[in-house]
Amino acid sequence: MTTYEKNLKTLAVYYPEMDRMIEKAEKEAESDIEVIEETSYDDEGILKITKDGKTCYLNGKRDTKEAAQSWVKTLGKLPRNTPVLLMGVGNYFYLKELAEQMEHKITIIVYEPSLKIFLKFLEMVDIERWMDKHLIIFWVDGLDGMDEKNMKEMLQQILKYEMLDHFKYFILPNYELLFREEAVEFIKSCRDIALKELSGFSTNRLFSGVMVKNLFSNTRHLYKGYKTTQFIDVIPRDIPGIVVAAGPSLNKNIMELKKAKGKAFIVAVDTAMKPLIKAGIIPDMFAVIDALKPIDLVKEEEAKKVPLLTTLNAAPEVLNYHTGMKFFFNEGYRFAEEIFQRSGHKMGDVSSGGSVATHVFSLLHKIGIETIILVGQDLAYTNNKAYADGTFQDVIEESDTSNFMMVEGNYEEKVPTATDLKLFLDWYNMYIEGVQKRKPNFRVINATEGGAKIQNTEIMTLKEAIEQECTKEVNIEECLEKLPPMLNDEAKEWTRNYLQNIPEEFKKLKKDARKMKNYYRKLDKICQKKNIDKKEYLSIMKKIEKQMKIIENENVYQMIAITMSNAQYILQGQQYFQEKSMQDEGKEIAQMGIGYVEDVERLAAVFQKYAEEIFSDLS
Amino acid sequence: MEEKIQNLYGELRNMGALFLIYQKRDNIETTKKIIPEIQEFVLWFLEKNRLEIDETVYQDMSRNLLEILEDILEAMKQRDMVLLHDAAVNGLLEYLQLFVESEQEEATDDDL
Repeated sequence: MTTYEKNLKTLAVYYPEMDRMIEKAEKEAESDIEVIEETSYDDEGILKITKDGKTCYLNGKRDTKEAAQSWVKTLGKLPRNTPVLLMGVGNYFYLKELAEQMEHKITIIVYEPSLKIFLKFLEMVDIERWMDKHLIIFWVDGLDGMDEKNMKEMLQQILKYEMLDHFKYFILPNYELLFREEAVEFIKSCRDIALKELSGFSTNRLFSGVMVKNLFSNTRHLYKGYKTTQFIDVIPRDIPGIVVAAGPSLNKNIMELKKAKGKAFIVAVDTAMKPLIKAGIIPDMFAVIDALKPIDLVKEEEAKKVPLLTTLNAAPEVLNYHTGMKFFFNEGYRFAEEIFQRSGHKMGDVSSGGSVATHVFSLLHKIGIETIILVGQDLAYTNNKAYADGTFQDVIEESDTSNFMMVEGNYEEKVPTATDLKLFLDWYNMYIEGVQKRKPNFRVINATEGGAKIQNTEIMTLKEAIEQECTKEVNIEECLEKLPPMLNDEAKEWTRNYLQNIPEEFKKLKKDARKMKNYYRKLDKICQKKNIDKKEYLSIMKKIEKQMKIIENENVYQMIAITMSNAQYILQGQQYFQEKSMQDEGKEIAQMGIGYVEDVERLAAVFQKYAEEIFSDLS
Repeated sequence: MEEKIQNLYGELRNMGALFLIYQKRDNIETTKKIIPEIQEFVLWFLEKNRLEIDETVYQDMSRNLLEILEDILEAMKQRDMVLLHDAAVNGLLEYLQLFVESEQEEATDDDL
């Protein structure tokens, strides 16, 4: 059996069907590169690649191992399960050194942009020992299902918050030259996912305490609320949508917006409401998404009746203050989804993108609008300011941006931006590109007149954009008045009963958590014995697993899980670095498990009380 | 010439360490600047058997050195940083080392 055949067999053990995928791809493969195998002075196989008229080695002729050894040495001793992302396998010594030198089991993702190089690699070295020792994932362009989208999903599974401190990535020398685009895309994907994970964790930590109370409180508004999918029935698609964000450049062209009123669907973010109202402009709708948004930003008599795009975890004070139409979308909260389902309206979410403005942008696209004009969407500290004057303060103070990252500007060569704004910018770039691929008519005009450049947008002044695009009269208020609330009387009645039963659901959850605690206690007892009864151990572990599934399937458990994301992080963070015997591991699982289910019980009791208070009066 | 060899040795040592430890791979531009010194050393080495070693060994070494120079020039042309590192650091540096005092070698180590 050749090394290649043996490797295919090994891969099939870990990834069923991968051998067939490789054989299939091998037959169909077309390649723009030539792979030449040479023998080094120290008698090892090395590869030389010819691509686009360039010829490059992937390993040295004189010393094949030194570079890989030095790199692995700089990594030190990696903790268990550390993710290491390696781009390129054309110099297999990097993977060999990494796999052989690391003592603990780590997760190695090998991304190879060339199928031809990967096939050659499989001929050159036996990978069985490395596969046995570590979790190795080979991601090869040209193999079935291994596309950019799936790669991002795979990376999301690997780059978890608790491992980000340890995560390493490495691009093999000359890959950045031979596969420039792929290398940039690869780094971008890793960075974006790591940033998202980081920001997701921070957001959860910040909001989890208030989220559940907000959810319950806001759920009452579903009663008379509307669904964003209803827009499709009444908003014309041949008018432009205008997203009014609150970036510093808004002050430059805010007055122009008056000319767009009645000729576009104008949606403002919450922070832009005050300066808009001050300028005498009432948008057709505004959006409040954040759980901790201060009500002062929108506490204006004129804002009260303006239709509102919102979410179930937005600040309840704002929703309670506001008396106009409230539009909701599917956010994935299980208990609320039951209600949405009763409305009979289509499912419809909005891509988050992380900011209120990105929500609005996504909504406008999803309701079918083909031209979107961005205003005040700086995504940068234009003139060193974070927001437009008149938002949080009458005059926003300048920030010191000397250490900020710089990005390409709309009018300036470079503009300073912050990490969160960069994430939103990346989202726009990705989202617009994706939409335009599917819908070539989709246009985005960036009329911010300052700030960071968003790819695939047309840059013009707001005056020009309005003159060019806002040519048709439309009365959005009249359009929206035609809409009935999303729940009819029958659905309202069902919702009332459903919500009033939520306290009971928490009661059941408490009971199930107690049962789980008993299982953990039993596990602890088993592990206290000198000689562990493996049969008993495995049986109780199975029961724990089964009970956990029961708990996880309960609709209201999701709220507990959101609130406990910090606790879970602590548990997960520890499990990566320990090395234990079965007995110690069992004891630790039991102790942590008891702590966890006690928290579930406690939170279920608190939320039961919230639900009783909030849902007792649903008139 | 001694001083020139020592300087060249120091440059290549630094370049190698930056490549291996810090993954600073932009060795093409650095090498461009020292190409005249590299060529001067090669010519100087080929001029005569300065190490006073066995003539056959000297001839082999000379041939090998010419191959190294060829690889360096080819790597520059292709912008091949792997070949350049290999030829300059794993090839040429060993020749330079033969003419560098051990004390100065240690001093170069300290600089890193």
